[in-house]
Amino acid sequence: MTTLANSETRPTPIILDCDPGHDDAIALVMAHRSKAIDLLGVTVTCGNAELDKCVSNALRILEFIGAGDVPVAAGCYRPLARPLVLGTADGPSGLEGSPYLPMATKTVEPMHAVDFIAKTLREQDEPLRIVATGPLCNMGLFVLKYPELLSKIKDITWMGGVFYRKSEIITPTEFNAFCDPEALKIVLDSGVKLTMVGLDVTMQVLVEEPQYAEFRKIDTELGRVVNDWLLFYEKLHRNSMGVGGALHDPLALALIIDPTLVRTRPAHIGVDLAGTYAFGATVADFWKERGLPDNAEICTEVDADRFFELLYSLLRD
Amino acid sequence: MTGNGPQMERIILDVDSAGDDILAVLFAAVSPNVKLEGVTTCTGAAGPIEQVTNVVLNTLALAGRTDIPVAKGAWRPIVGNSKADMEAPVHFEKRLTARFGERLKKFNPPAPKPSHAPIDKHAVDFIIDTVMASPGEITLVATGPMTNLAMAFLQEERLKDNVKRMCLLGGNFVTPGNITPLSEYNIWADAEAARVVLNQGVETILVPLDVCEDNRAAASMLTRDDLADLEVTADNHPVLAMIRETFPIYIDIWREFFDLVGFPMDDIITVALAFDPTLCTMTEPLFCDIVLDGRLARGQTVAYRGRQLLPGGGPKTTRICTDIDGRRFMKLFKETIALYKAA
Repeated sequence: MTTLANSETRPTPIILDCDPGHDDAIALVMAHRSKAIDLLGVTVTCGNAELDKCVSNALRILEFIGAGDVPVAAGCYRPLARPLVLGTADGPSGLEGSPYLPMATKTVEPMHAVDFIAKTLREQDEPLRIVATGPLCNMGLFVLKYPELLSKIKDITWMGGVFYRKSEIITPTEFNAFCDPEALKIVLDSGVKLTMVGLDVTMQVLVEEPQYAEFRKIDTELGRVVNDWLLFYEKLHRNSMGVGGALHDPLALALIIDPTLVRTRPAHIGVDLAGTYAFGATVADFWKERGLPDNAEICTEVDADRFFELLYSLLRD
Repeated sequence: MTGNGPQMERIILDVDSAGDDILAVLFAAVSPNVKLEGVTTCTGAAGPIEQVTNVVLNTLALAGRTDIPVAKGAWRPIVGNSKADMEAPVHFEKRLTARFGERLKKFNPPAPKPSHAPIDKHAVDFIIDTVMASPGEITLVATGPMTNLAMAFLQEERLKDNVKRMCLLGGNFVTPGNITPLSEYNIWADAEAARVVLNQGVETILVPLDVCEDNRAAASMLTRDDLADLEVTADNHPVLAMIRETFPIYIDIWREFFDLVGFPMDDIITVALAFDPTLCTMTEPLFCDIVLDGRLARGQTVAYRGRQLLPGGGPKTTRICTDIDGRRFMKLFKETIALYKAA
């Protein structure tokens, strides 16, 4: 059992902006089940699948785990400045591998995700934390539309980017950044505190046989669904890189519960909007050659074992 | 309207409050051919969104039309350009000061505090709500950067099927650009937004510099003769007084710095086309794309004309103006403005 935020402190209220997606789905499960988190709402963007599929998945997952009361708002159906290129890890529906999940009876909020975020921020006394696990379309559009509310965002913890650590299983670009690099640039320029949970750390939380063994021990309906998700989800990684599924989005979510799972360092981050081979690349100016102020914290190291302990415990409880 | 004349068009006017935007607001507010549903504001040539919005509020107050809703919009472009480049219009004003001295105070002055307020709704929501409430009836007219329109299309996927038509000021095909040799300001200032808007497949009239900021279109430009005509035909309404007071410096700037015979009426032409498309000669509907990644060419408008070997293109829904009946336009402008009568 890992140390969760102690029970005397108020759970951290968050909005989760996502594109479910198997790993988003697991992040949703964690956000709902953690006593350290108060999930105020879920906003959905296109990314791993088309918007309507991601929305449907979010509704199904929340209803399945008994979180039918958590509001869901549909957001951007396309990136801000480019045609949508879908992710490939999650299959056509965005949540292949669990066809037996019932369709949701729950419906979406009657407003766009950016308006839902604005409404939620206005209702809060304290600045709010946002976890984003998909392309930043919604957050980019939010910055464009609601500059007066930026000070009500405490920070954004975003799964995205990669910083060229030497590795054969890390490509020069990461999907969420690649999918809507203009939105990322808008967020980077906004002055909102941003923590980037990139492939440098998420490709180190891999589900291999020892982890599967632990998941199999969780002999509940939820445990079995998560296991089925993981078995589908790992195919892309297994076939292309020979490794298990990387729990990108769950790691980003976990940092709300336990920020000590990673080490971070600040840097000025630029995003390549025009490159041929490195389009959507996130570039960290560690040497301060450009003389620009730091605009993000990027994760450099992760304690994978402690992350998995946290995940198991949340699924078990 | 009666007979075969132009129809009454319901429009939303999206502006960035440069000089001709002011005339466009005044023109649209009084034209018997226009029902001005509202004015939305966008950061652009006149500076920050507060200035842009205040100018519109003050202009409508001058026109006695505080009943027309004003909705504040985008504070920044989607991507934009370097800060130094985006502030170029400000540097331009410094160059002008050296030439015109005190007279320049009448060019884009800081707007005094307006006597009324914008509505409590973002421009993007105003556009979406107004269009969706009257499917197929609303024409969107944009005379500044297209950020608000792009955001509206991005936020509401069904918007494109419910807009009647768009009239957009932007681009250049024959005439050199006015912000770079290849690019026109509105498109360049938010090139990504323009590309989103022109890719929607909505019936569009595009008004490039070719038919307004080029001496081939000289008859459409505002001159001191036209100001004298307004003096004769119109009563002493505050709108007329403002135009007589303010616009000589605009005429002089465009004559001396852009070699044009008068002040180009880009934005008013764009509004007029919403109800009278016969003012301009246009191409067949074609696809118009925007260069995003070129450095020198960023913001250039590319018309898909002729026949090419490589596949490509997009929705063929944009008619590009190639010529203008400038004389008829200027007559229309003066007659319309003369409708402002002293109370």
